[in-house]
Amino acid sequence: MKNHPVRIIGFCALVVLAVLFSLPFIWQISTSLKTEDQVGKAELDLIPRAQVLMVDGSLVEVKPVERKGDLQVVQIKEGPKKGTKVSVNPSQLRLIPHLEWSNYSEGFKAFPFFRMLQNTLTICFLVVIGSVLSCSLSAYGLACVQWKGREALFWAMLATMMLPAQVTMIPLFQTFKGLGWINTILPLVVPAFCGNAFFIFMLRQFYRTIPASFMEAARIDGASDMRIWATVVLPLSKAALSVVAVFTFIAAWNDFLGPLLYLMDDDKYTLAIGLARLQGQYSSDWGRMMAMSVVMTLPLVILFFLAQRTFVEGIKLGGVKG
Amino acid sequence: MKSRTWTGLAFCSPLIIGLLCFTVLPVVASFWFSLCNYPILEPPRFVGVANYVELARDDRFWHSVRNTFLYVAGAIPLGMVVGLGLALLLNQRVAGIKVFRTLFFLPTVVPLVANSVLWVRLLNPQQGLVNTFLRFLHLPEAWMPGWLSDEHWALPGLVLMSLWGAGGGAVLYVAALQDVPAELFEAAELDGAGPSKRFRHITIPMISPVLLFTGVMGLVGGFQEFARAFVMTKGGPWDSTLFYCLHLFNSAFTEFRLGYASAMAWVLFGIILFATVIVMRSSMKHVQYEQ
Repeated sequence: MKNHPVRIIGFCALVVLAVLFSLPFIWQISTSLKTEDQVGKAELDLIPRAQVLMVDGSLVEVKPVERKGDLQVVQIKEGPKKGTKVSVNPSQLRLIPHLEWSNYSEGFKAFPFFRMLQNTLTICFLVVIGSVLSCSLSAYGLACVQWKGREALFWAMLATMMLPAQVTMIPLFQTFKGLGWINTILPLVVPAFCGNAFFIFMLRQFYRTIPASFMEAARIDGASDMRIWATVVLPLSKAALSVVAVFTFIAAWNDFLGPLLYLMDDDKYTLAIGLARLQGQYSSDWGRMMAMSVVMTLPLVILFFLAQRTFVEGIKLGGVKG
Repeated sequence: MKSRTWTGLAFCSPLIIGLLCFTVLPVVASFWFSLCNYPILEPPRFVGVANYVELARDDRFWHSVRNTFLYVAGAIPLGMVVGLGLALLLNQRVAGIKVFRTLFFLPTVVPLVANSVLWVRLLNPQQGLVNTFLRFLHLPEAWMPGWLSDEHWALPGLVLMSLWGAGGGAVLYVAALQDVPAELFEAAELDGAGPSKRFRHITIPMISPVLLFTGVMGLVGGFQEFARAFVMTKGGPWDSTLFYCLHLFNSAFTEFRLGYASAMAWVLFGIILFATVIVMRSSMKHVQYEQ
């Protein structure tokens, strides 16, 4: 391959943009590992550091308290003299690289993290199961069974896809309230068992490409539609179903409006709501907030690396994530 | 074949129940509410089009429409330009292209709330990364944007934040670029067309369906922007980020004016339909669909 100047410029542009796009991530992780007194420093220093002082021949971490004339008062944070305050000349203080993990442990204590993780995962799990089942069953009914009225149903479904959720939000809220479903996960989970127009559409398109002879062969062997769905169609559509599973999981993990409307108690909250509330309460505690946002992001990043193909397929199929 | 009808209905029953319970009935109810005075605790009382008339006179409503339009007009075209730029760079044959693709795509994986929490800090005028970076470039302090704390900079701040997700569109554009037949470029090159001409007359027309698709999806999504403003700014400062759906949510669930909020929802539906049709029609002339 010849090294054309355009190619070199293109590569350099890629590198510069890649650095720009990853800076927020790097900054987020680095801030989550910084000590309180280092976070506030507006320097482009991405390495977490801590102030240390030589006390009795060993370096100990200190926290600046106040300034007294030329001297800096610091509080010792570790070792036998933990808690005592000393006045030192600022030149005696040194900065060394240091990872402050307490942002994470304190963050987990600040809100019932594991409880919320459990709530979120419960909802995600039920939504994924419900969506995969209901969407693939309905898509089978639309694509693989010849019956009067299926075209009408298909078009009715397509017509609803443009409808913004805000239109149905208020009547649904009132209905769920009437049913006594407020402060339960039911309003977030039950609709998933009733299909989703977009994914049904996607699966229907896919099921139509399955050769009819496959299903005919099974039918001649005496298989029922349910059996054909389970033993012929489902195994053939693993890739499409994993798109449904991955994207409904993400939607449920990220959902903000739903839990905001329907969940009222701390111990029922999902991570998205918990983190948003924390944002209101600890808005000045940057390290802790960054730690918690890392924690909420990490599972999706891992999911992304495990299912990169599925992600790209899903994005191509319709930019599910707005 | 009667039995097939029952089979079809049975398989489609989740969809049918879902359409009825979670779409058709609520849609009818919502339209009825929009014609009613409905303060959450009392039953709805029919008032005709009063809610719509009040909307037309409500300054905050128009302000939220304006904010949303400004945001969409900034974020969607810029996002498409950045996305296309990334896609063109990613379409080269260079080492490590997969790593680059992953890096650009990764921001779109970040959950909305975590993203909001992050960007509140990135956009902090004193200690945030964005202004720290601008200082690093030796920009005078007087030029430093106040981002989310300045009413003139709050919307641009959210637009900047949205650009971090431009890699999602780029993935689509790369796929479209790779489908453009190489012969077209070779033929144009033989005819003496330079890179910019080839870009204008081959690349853009060939990927125009995907550009249209992302444009329309971005538009529909932009008008439904809610969580970010709710978490990051609560609509402030001075209502400068009061998006349409945030105003709608507040009307319904903090002011408990369900009829009024329902009317807003229907106007939103109208705006989305109208804007989508406009975008589709104005692009039809330019968009090339393969036969």
